[in-house]
Amino acid sequence: MSDLDRAIAQLRACRPIPEAQVRELCHKARELLIEEGNVVTVTAPVTICGDIHGQFHDLMELFRVGGDVPDTNYLFMGDFVDRGFYSLESFLLLLCLKVRYPDRMTLIRGNHESRQITTVYGFYDECLRKYGSANVWRYCCEVFDYLALGAIVLGASSTLEPSKQKVTASSNSLTSTQEYLDPDIEIEVLSSDGGIVKRFPRQKTVKTVGGNKSSSPAKTGAPGTGASGSSGGSVGNPGGAVLCVHGGLSPLIDTVDKIRLLDRKQEVPHEGAMCDLLWSDPDEIDGWGLSPRGAGFLFGADIVKVFNHANDLSLIARAHQLVMEGFKEMFDASIVTVWSAPNYCYRCGNVAAILELGEDGSGEGIISRSNGEVNRSDGGMPGLLKEKEKVLLSGPARRYRVFQAAPQDSRGMPAKKPVADYFL
Amino acid sequence: MDSQVEKGALASRTLPVLRPNEPHAFVKPAKRIHEGQDVHHFLTSQAYRDIGIFVMQLNISMCPRKSGHSDQVETWRLDSPLILSGPVQKLQELLGKIDSMIEEAPPSTGPRRFGNVSFRTWYEILESRAQGLLKDSLPKGVLEFRAASADGVSVLDELTPYLLGGFGSPQRLDYGTGHELSFLAFVACIWKLGGFTSESSVDGALERSIVIGVIEPYLRVVRRLILTYTLEPAGSHGVWGLDDHSFLPYIFGSSQYCPAITANDAMPIEGSLAGSPNPGDIAKKAVVDRERKHNMYFSAVGFINDVKTGPFWEHSPILFDISGVRSGWGKINKGMIKMYNAEVLSKFPVVQHFPFGSLFCWEQDPNATPASASIHTASQPLGRPAPSGIGTTRQPPQTSTMAPWANSNVGAAPATAAPWTQAPTVQPSTRAPWADGGSKALPTAAARTSAMPPPSQMQDGPTRAPWANKEGPGGG
Repeated sequence: MSDLDRAIAQLRACRPIPEAQVRELCHKARELLIEEGNVVTVTAPVTICGDIHGQFHDLMELFRVGGDVPDTNYLFMGDFVDRGFYSLESFLLLLCLKVRYPDRMTLIRGNHESRQITTVYGFYDECLRKYGSANVWRYCCEVFDYLALGAIVLGASSTLEPSKQKVTASSNSLTSTQEYLDPDIEIEVLSSDGGIVKRFPRQKTVKTVGGNKSSSPAKTGAPGTGASGSSGGSVGNPGGAVLCVHGGLSPLIDTVDKIRLLDRKQEVPHEGAMCDLLWSDPDEIDGWGLSPRGAGFLFGADIVKVFNHANDLSLIARAHQLVMEGFKEMFDASIVTVWSAPNYCYRCGNVAAILELGEDGSGEGIISRSNGEVNRSDGGMPGLLKEKEKVLLSGPARRYRVFQAAPQDSRGMPAKKPVADYFL
Repeated sequence: MDSQVEKGALASRTLPVLRPNEPHAFVKPAKRIHEGQDVHHFLTSQAYRDIGIFVMQLNISMCPRKSGHSDQVETWRLDSPLILSGPVQKLQELLGKIDSMIEEAPPSTGPRRFGNVSFRTWYEILESRAQGLLKDSLPKGVLEFRAASADGVSVLDELTPYLLGGFGSPQRLDYGTGHELSFLAFVACIWKLGGFTSESSVDGALERSIVIGVIEPYLRVVRRLILTYTLEPAGSHGVWGLDDHSFLPYIFGSSQYCPAITANDAMPIEGSLAGSPNPGDIAKKAVVDRERKHNMYFSAVGFINDVKTGPFWEHSPILFDISGVRSGWGKINKGMIKMYNAEVLSKFPVVQHFPFGSLFCWEQDPNATPASASIHTASQPLGRPAPSGIGTTRQPPQTSTMAPWANSNVGAAPATAAPWTQAPTVQPSTRAPWADGGSKALPTAAARTSAMPPPSQMQDGPTRAPWANKEGPGGG
């Protein structure tokens, strides 16, 4: 067993690894991440995850539901740390897995992977408390600076393969996903034990293209989970890749290539393209709006549609906002929010979700090699949108697995009580 | 202020009451803390001094008293019968009316991210009725306080914003310690205008009736609002804050368990009342359920238990750590006051919304002595973006999209250290006149300093101490 495997085993047991080991791990991770572009290319199949925020036990539940590493290929869209009690263990485990299985684990940066934010929202305090010094916090922050800003998923299938994921928990669901799947199913929502919560067929007829309204939320209460997914099915995404980014778009970025040109190896700036990618939110507005967060922007359906069209994208997957149902598709399924921290902050009562994109085995699906570069493919040609809408196999098929917070029975003993400064 | 006259034997411990026969120039309260550096001014302002005096005054009133007879100790429980003065009863009625507005604005059942938009409806009702309610609820002496100003700013013009500010943000759908502070100031305004003091306070009796008869009922209304409209914790630190929403109940509640004192004693700084629960009992559900009826600290912990799931030590590690303090509730009370000064009153994200008028006044306190710059106050943020998830719905838009924490204005920010705080870290230092002496330990940042990265490691341009800019728990 290598040192790395031992570290993984220890972190899986929710026990921090020694400072010297963290230092070594972070060094290795930096060497690995420095070789990655600002936008990592990932090939389907891949499971896309949203915010974790130090909810270690829920991250374990995520792996249970989504499949373990390296059996499942993962893409985490940032916000590993802050607010939760186990930011350290969660981030270090993900980092260990990244170093151990570099091609099976993609980590991109969230707005919380920043010195300034972590000093305010908990991760700094946590490191100080768990190690007695800020060294580990510093090592981690140095890694943050090297995390990619986004990812492009290529080769996602437009049809759903039967779920391969075996779930160990006793399944009382009546339907099994092992059965034959209708090729017209575009979206499938599964509960944590693999039972089908809801399926949405692909809509073959084009409704109002370019409409500003998000798909109307469908109440799809999951038996036993209380989960409900908000999705109405897309009206036929033009074939293309899936862009993954923590926050959203930037008025300074009209092509994916412009993301590639940024100098990312720095603290998250207070403004500018890199800041926006990590801070922005989609909203029911036209064009761009000021963000109530004080950083990044709000952007409307028109912005997403123009961007996706210009860059030959079928979908933007992003995280950054709590959604009670775990995921939320907006703007005719041109953008989706994925949230992976169930019962956020021990109190929000939300479920979490992960998004599985299957591998296209048919050879006729959406393999775009343009990587969103305008004019290299046919992405920039006017009139093409309508052309593509007639194609049956268009946007990627999405399987959402929805899960709840991990049971709390197996959570170790309370840590010793260090006396807070104010109370000395 | 010139027109203030100090009442009571312990002048430094009691908020002065304005002379009723002197006309007073009321002022419409306005925000004055626009950027991080303004916090330093605030910490030497008369408003800061007065907030401190009032907190300490209420705090000591809740401390058990030795009665004349030996061994007999008088304590004040939330549920023990208390004779409430007329003004306190009227304020309780006001809170009752505010509470019942919740029925008029049932929570929306439509799709939502987190906070419930019907809170805005509730708030509109409150806004539309606030002045009328105050006319019904405030003592005559307050309502008829002679206004000196020609421009017609009335006492209600000055008081209403503090009341409204005490019930969360309709824009952001959140609630935090900044709102709690606003309500405290509202009550203190009434005090300053003589609204409580028609009957003189004997050994804290009046202050006690304010805490038990007004502050605690206020907290109950707030908790109902939080539950009904799932109000987000303003600026939540997640598990790394003291409490998602409140601070004052931990101060006054720990005072309730302090060892008994006599009338002229200072606040105990260690030890516990005989028979009080062990500080460690906050992690025991059964004890919390028993004590929450009597004690504000346990009442607040009980509310945490109501809304959070999971092990207490995991979702509330700061409170859990404090429960390990061995020197008793006196020590905890002293620590809470230090922490309140550092994490609430000294934090830009919390106090930026506090408005200043004639009663809580922006002018410098002549007795405040600015101390040397502390590393912790050296870089207050200009503002603070709310990171992802909860706490993000609606914040006031910035004029540009420049992140508010940009422009970390390093450099010597004047710092102040209230002697009643003496926290080794995060300490602004200005001598607050309302402190009751006993300043010994000077801030020793050494422990944490060693944990600091050297400035060269901070790639973020202007140096930023990693411990700087901590927002108060639930600040906002």
